[in-house]
Amino acid sequence: MSVEDPYALLDKWLNAQELLVVGKDVTRVDAFQKAVGKAYFTEDYLLKEALFVKQVLSPYPHARILSYDVRKALDIPGVKAVITAKDIPGVNQVGYALPDQPLLAEGKVRYVGEVVALVVAEDYDTAFKGVESVEVKYEELPYLLDPLEAMNRNDILIHEEIGSNIAFKTKVVKGDVNEGFAKSDVIVENEYRTHHQDHIYLEPEAALAIPDMEGRITIICSTQYPHLTRDIASKVLGLPSSYVKIITPYVGGGFGGKDDEGPLVAAKAALAAYLTGRPSFLMYSREESIAIHPKREATVIKYKSGASKDGRLQAIDVKIIHDTGAYANRGPFILWRATVHASGPYEVPNARVEGFAVYTNKVYQGSFRGFGNPGIQFAAESQMDLLAEKLGLDPIDFRLKNILKEGSTTITSQKLDHSVGVGEALRKVAEASDWWRKRREYSLDTGRFRRGIGVGVAWHGISTSRGVPDWSNAYVKIEKDGSVTAYTGIVEMGQGAPTSAHVQIISELLGIPPTKVKVIFGTTDAPDTGATHASRGSSIGGIGVLIAAAKLRERLAKLASEILNVTPEEIMFKDGRVYSKKDPNLYIEWKDLIKEAISKGVELSATGYFFLPKGKFDDVRGQGFAYPAFSYMVVISEVEVDVETGVVKVLKVWPALAAGRILNPQQVEGQLEGAAVQGLGYALMENLVFDGKGRVVNPDLTDYVIPTIRDVPEIQKPIYVEDLFKYGPFGAKGVGELALIPMPASVANAVSHALKTRVTSLPLTPERVLELIRSSR
Amino acid sequence: MKRVVRFKLNGEYVEAEVEPNELLINLLRDKLHLTGTKYVCGIGECGACTVLIDGKPVLSCITLAVDVNGKEVVTVEGVSKDGLTPVQEALMEEGAIQCGYCLPGFVVMGEYLLKERMEVSEEELREALRGNLCRCTGYVNIVKAFKKAFEKRGLKS
Repeated sequence: MSVEDPYALLDKWLNAQELLVVGKDVTRVDAFQKAVGKAYFTEDYLLKEALFVKQVLSPYPHARILSYDVRKALDIPGVKAVITAKDIPGVNQVGYALPDQPLLAEGKVRYVGEVVALVVAEDYDTAFKGVESVEVKYEELPYLLDPLEAMNRNDILIHEEIGSNIAFKTKVVKGDVNEGFAKSDVIVENEYRTHHQDHIYLEPEAALAIPDMEGRITIICSTQYPHLTRDIASKVLGLPSSYVKIITPYVGGGFGGKDDEGPLVAAKAALAAYLTGRPSFLMYSREESIAIHPKREATVIKYKSGASKDGRLQAIDVKIIHDTGAYANRGPFILWRATVHASGPYEVPNARVEGFAVYTNKVYQGSFRGFGNPGIQFAAESQMDLLAEKLGLDPIDFRLKNILKEGSTTITSQKLDHSVGVGEALRKVAEASDWWRKRREYSLDTGRFRRGIGVGVAWHGISTSRGVPDWSNAYVKIEKDGSVTAYTGIVEMGQGAPTSAHVQIISELLGIPPTKVKVIFGTTDAPDTGATHASRGSSIGGIGVLIAAAKLRERLAKLASEILNVTPEEIMFKDGRVYSKKDPNLYIEWKDLIKEAISKGVELSATGYFFLPKGKFDDVRGQGFAYPAFSYMVVISEVEVDVETGVVKVLKVWPALAAGRILNPQQVEGQLEGAAVQGLGYALMENLVFDGKGRVVNPDLTDYVIPTIRDVPEIQKPIYVEDLFKYGPFGAKGVGELALIPMPASVANAVSHALKTRVTSLPLTPERVLELIRSSR
Repeated sequence: MKRVVRFKLNGEYVEAEVEPNELLINLLRDKLHLTGTKYVCGIGECGACTVLIDGKPVLSCITLAVDVNGKEVVTVEGVSKDGLTPVQEALMEEGAIQCGYCLPGFVVMGEYLLKERMEVSEEELREALRGNLCRCTGYVNIVKAFKKAFEKRGLKS
């Protein structure tokens, strides 16, 4: 086997002892620029000569477009162009999973806020006037807002070509559920509902398209997957992909939302630039952002589960309905993820799970941290509490009897051969929170303020669902002065993958300080690294960086061993020096070694490519290989409920994570805290409200409320179980989404404990809590 | 009708021609090229556009540019003119920096609080910062950083 074999390199570093940089609280390299206000985001690159793009939006939930009249708008001095579907030079089709979605409405509009036309003008005010002057004639059509109604009606079709309002179906069938329920001594059946959530990334969507830079169209934009953004923009423009370049500077938060919307914003700005020949800038206002971009899906989940007296789960029968809104977008992938995670992280011998993504005339659903999983884990974990209660078992003791471990099989019959630390995480965090005592003690509360403690346990498959191909790729080169430049398609959107994890990996392997490492991120000039989503930036994204840097290290170790006359195995790289482990006096300075390498013809650049090995998945039965590994998260929440006002206060939160190697504890902690609070907002206060026409009535930060610094609980230091993943960089799995996923379940279970009545829908606003208290009396 | 405003910006006198309805955030970003101040909500709910006017925090997205005539304005760029402030240092050390979009607002508030008060309880701190939204950090490390900045200053004095 070659010393540059990727499997060998991954394995070597998986088992490395005495890491110097990885695993430490290294300050991320972008912290300074951000602290002084000198980190540039898309809007900060705005050119003086740029034209402004404004969007004409549909006022109707469902209508046929009869005609456009753009003459009045074009007569306004300063309006340069009005662009509608017919002006698109390439293909007006941007659906991710299904080909159901135009970039600019064509023939029909399907939700209030759908983009019908673009007005391009010399300045913002003129573009705004232009938008008001575009006349579109519509014929209103009957519309559907409720997914349960929509899935049963064929007289109103949101997409006629499909012949039904069900966009997509999924299924998992394992064992025999009837047999499973026959073996069950207790059975629980409930319907759960979750709602839409807006990402509220602080930076609104933005793109600046510049024609003719480097002989191609360059788009500076806020997105999560530069290569996909390029492919969509070039398809719309009718250009080869290589003629479009994407630069994604610092992104002011993404959380999945810019994975869906980013490419569309880029394509619209590119269209304006291409058709006018001028740099063109499009930025959404907050109100437009909330009205237009995809949301976390609303769900209806019917869940039946059974267990035997010995505390063993016997069967689950689950029906998941996702309100997919006007377009499928990534809905099918989201539904798949919810479907294969429906059991929660437990062994279930018999399972039937059916999923339906249903079209309605509302803003469509899309990627959001957790990707279909928070809703289903809320349902699954509520069921676990109810079963435990019926069995007379403590909720955590019951979970531990069924928890996944090495050798377990999932509901897709995938055998988990390694990296399953969830049981240990659950045990440890239960002890840390003094769970058993509090669970008993709080049950006795009777006054106005009732305390409760609840647990949420979640699993989250790493990489893409089922056998969908996934890979890592990066390019690393050592410069003549010994500094290192790395290229990755991963973006920096707050999570710090390229500005902390990737920097640390290179610094560790080459023994140079982080300040000598520059990671160029978010560019299509890097190899396609896949998207910065699915908690994959540091983990999957880091594999390529590790392999490339490890290849360079092997080459330099060989050269150094020749120079120092020792074996390559004893060569160490540390603090800018390369030396023999046996005799540190035998050394060569890093800088001098690089000079030697250049004079002796050692190649100082390398690509790191890794194609994740996956197994087969049968889509019809939903059985087979689902993910290369899972990350696991446990959150215990302590709440206090005011039974007179209905106000829920989350007092304390205990997180525990089993996500393999922790590359940077400080950064991981930041991810867990941020995700926990985003999940808390979802569980308690965030709520998108639609009127009778499917219009969002609260599209601003006055009426769409997110947690402030006053709303956050005391979050305890996370417990880490480092259940190494054999293909991860140093064994790391994904972290970014994890703490959000069990948060709604954890809070709902704590409130249910406090009120001694079951929460089945979110958010737990004071109104809903009071209603719950009233209905339980 | 355009008007001329003259004011002190980050220690230097500047002059600009503005529309009567022009917002301060746009004057700062588009004409004076100080892009540290960020647009997020446009209606004064999030604090990302906070600047100091005559030493007091003001939301530049709901302030007219004509209103700063004859006044002194300090932005995030001005705050760190003479090196990092204790709040900036602490934010970096405590891992309180993620995407960074809300950060200019927090940094400006930090400058204000450090000048305004000798010490601050956690309750007062949270009250003072409740108008600054952050969607990445969950605020945990931001609170830690602000506390640390105040402690450090206490040691110096």
